[in-house]
Amino acid sequence: MSRWRYFAQRVVLAVPVVFLGTTVAFLIVRLGPIDPAAAILGAQQIGSPEYYQLREQLGLTQPLWEQYTDFMWRMVTFQLGRSWVISPGTRVNDLIAVYAPRTIWLGLWSVLIALCIGIPLGFYAGLNPNTFGDYFASFGGIVWRAMPNFWLAVILVTLLSQSQSLFGIDWEGLWVSTQVVTPPDLSVFAEPTTLVTTPGEAWLQVAVAVKQIAPAALVLGSASMGNEMRIGRTAVLEIINADYIEAARAKGVSGRRLVWKHVFRNALIPLVPIITAEAFLLVGGSVLVETVFAINGLGSLFFQAAVQGDLPLVISLMYIFILLLVAANILQDFLYTLIDPRVGYERR
Amino acid sequence: MHDGTSPTKSDDGRSAHGPAGGTSLVERVASTPTPAALWAVGLLLLVGVEFGAVLQAGTALLAGLGRALSVLSPETVEGLRTAAESVPTLLSRETVPNQGWRRGPDGPWRATFAGLEPKVAWLVRVALVYAYAFAFLAWLWLGYRRYRTHYRLADWTPRDDVIDRLRGHRWGQFGFVVVFVFVVMALFAPALGPTTVDRNVLNPYDHEIRYYDAGTGEVDTITVGNANLQSGSEGAGQNVGPWTYDAYGRFHPFGTLPSGKDLFTFLAEGARISLSIGVASMLVSGVFGLAMATLTAYYKGLTDLLVVLTSDSIKSLPLLMVLILVVVVFQGTWLAEFYDGAVLLTAVLALVNWPYLWRAVRGPALQVAEATWIDAARSFGQSPAVIMRKHMAPYVVGYMMVYTSMSLGGVIIAVAGLSFLGLGITPPTPEWGRAVSVGQPYVATASWHISLLPGILITLVVTGFNALGDGIRDAIDPESEGGSGVEGAAAGGGGA
Repeated sequence: MSRWRYFAQRVVLAVPVVFLGTTVAFLIVRLGPIDPAAAILGAQQIGSPEYYQLREQLGLTQPLWEQYTDFMWRMVTFQLGRSWVISPGTRVNDLIAVYAPRTIWLGLWSVLIALCIGIPLGFYAGLNPNTFGDYFASFGGIVWRAMPNFWLAVILVTLLSQSQSLFGIDWEGLWVSTQVVTPPDLSVFAEPTTLVTTPGEAWLQVAVAVKQIAPAALVLGSASMGNEMRIGRTAVLEIINADYIEAARAKGVSGRRLVWKHVFRNALIPLVPIITAEAFLLVGGSVLVETVFAINGLGSLFFQAAVQGDLPLVISLMYIFILLLVAANILQDFLYTLIDPRVGYERR
Repeated sequence: MHDGTSPTKSDDGRSAHGPAGGTSLVERVASTPTPAALWAVGLLLLVGVEFGAVLQAGTALLAGLGRALSVLSPETVEGLRTAAESVPTLLSRETVPNQGWRRGPDGPWRATFAGLEPKVAWLVRVALVYAYAFAFLAWLWLGYRRYRTHYRLADWTPRDDVIDRLRGHRWGQFGFVVVFVFVVMALFAPALGPTTVDRNVLNPYDHEIRYYDAGTGEVDTITVGNANLQSGSEGAGQNVGPWTYDAYGRFHPFGTLPSGKDLFTFLAEGARISLSIGVASMLVSGVFGLAMATLTAYYKGLTDLLVVLTSDSIKSLPLLMVLILVVVVFQGTWLAEFYDGAVLLTAVLALVNWPYLWRAVRGPALQVAEATWIDAARSFGQSPAVIMRKHMAPYVVGYMMVYTSMSLGGVIIAVAGLSFLGLGITPPTPEWGRAVSVGQPYVATASWHISLLPGILITLVVTGFNALGDGIRDAIDPESEGGSGVEGAAAGGGGA
């Protein structure tokens, strides 16, 4: 089976997965005990004329089957409906367009931080096994991974907002004045041409946005950082003891070349699923981290919508997240086949 | 050692159809009774000092059953309860009380254990509880050793190697000890706390305490609720930190909450909730995942494809968001009020977690399905159910333990995260995440302990479960030594 055929097969298999996942979300919302009309009007309005009018308007009077097919069709065509409670009447697509960039910005940096700290640390620990540095990095990684995101976020927010009295360095005033708990200002990306036309100003704005997101990204990346470190260490250790490294060394390959060409490349393979699994951590953890850091992204939007019973918004966001996670899974399998052609084709 | 036996015989010693026509366990015990008798005496001693507690648990169970079947009148139940409570127990607050008062500013303590100050009295009780727990553990271990040397027919089984490897695994042992300390904390929560949840959290105005009032110079009484109002931790102005007394002579090992409730009592009770949800949901999804793994490995083909699709669909749902959604949707229904929402959370977590466990043990299950002994069993005409249960499951169950242990940490974090958001376990039932949330405004003040301590406990417990999982993995499969892709995904991380 060729690489592309395998990839196509993966994509085809993902269709029923998305379908079933979305159906589960629909069933939880529609078959659960929550009454959407009552959620909008308040429980005391049940039975009033407005209540029945709203039910009619929301399509709740139709048979469930029709509601379901209608819902599925709208999801497939990305007509995600309108918000009921959070921002009544606003199209969900518009809401997502407003909120998503912040979450993407947060996710981007947490992946980058996790990769740039976790993998080098893991490789360092693997290349220097059983030294003090290895133990320190390994143990630190294990504990770091075990810390709950929301707790880490709470502690970090406090440390940073009190940094003047605690460490003598004022984080908020450091370099440019920003608040610790704030949504990042991403207006510069609305007009990407300014990055070229007025580079000085535009890039400064980008830097400010990075500073605003950095603490939250560090927290969100923490769990996967620990994982990457651990897996990276094990992988490097395994490869260093492999026969072909011995052979390369006997042939006189220099140490630096050995590490870069033979060890690192192969050690990256087991890291692939860890890196794509980050998508799960990011999507799930974004609720908690965005809440603590007051980043108005998709995670906090989902939380607000769920708590306030804004069901079309909730279910649309769920659909988007399902698409994201399935895409991450496909990407994982694809990366596998790219890096290591032996894996994959016959795996399923 | 029992001589004249061959290692081919069944390792549990209960079946008596070995080639040499072995004796039953009862007969073997009867022939050399001393080790077993000594071991039984140990059990009597251990149960004896805790007889009251056993009786109380028994009556509670009986009362519950009686109410459900309406065969026992409330009076009988009440009578049974008082009778059970009158039996002294070593590890109860009544035997070693730590709540007392003093007559004067430096007068001796009254009503505490042996007149000690509350801190010392509490420490004595904690030490007793843990000494008892570790004694119980030692008794179990001794029982295994005695069984192995005196009563088991086989000299050696593969499981012996697993246990011996675990004995040399320091990291795994660290995990085991941490988990054990946490389990004991949950089991003995009512005896461990300096006060009880009922007194301190649920009905503080129904209970009174006596204390020495420095202002009037007399011993006064006050309700717990009013005393709590005066001993909250609210930052610089008013704070009762860890390891201090409040103004009413109450000792707080972990300090107090902003509401003046004792944090240690809150956390010990919270450990009960976290652990019961974690263990129950992991047990359900572990058993289900195991059944699925053996089924799909045995039948393959269409069964496998169906389970792959189902599990992938469930895995495509973001866990924390599904939890939020379910908790919100079921708010106010009987299911959400059942055990303060713990049952609902357990059910959802079990439903959502089994695909990960199934995926993690799918490899070993497929491997064992190819084994020659499976073919042999099939050709002997054994039914698929028996083959799966007797010949496949035992091989996979070790791996399942590794992954459930590692995922347990993730479940604890997920439940705490939900409580942090104000969902999940209904207040005022203690939950660790709620303590973090309540203490959030005070992290940088003198009352830093409210958020910090529960977080440290969670981190410790999750690390413990991960270390235990590592230990079991290295013990059952010394070759593996990590490195597999699933490990990272299964390990309980701070993702939620």
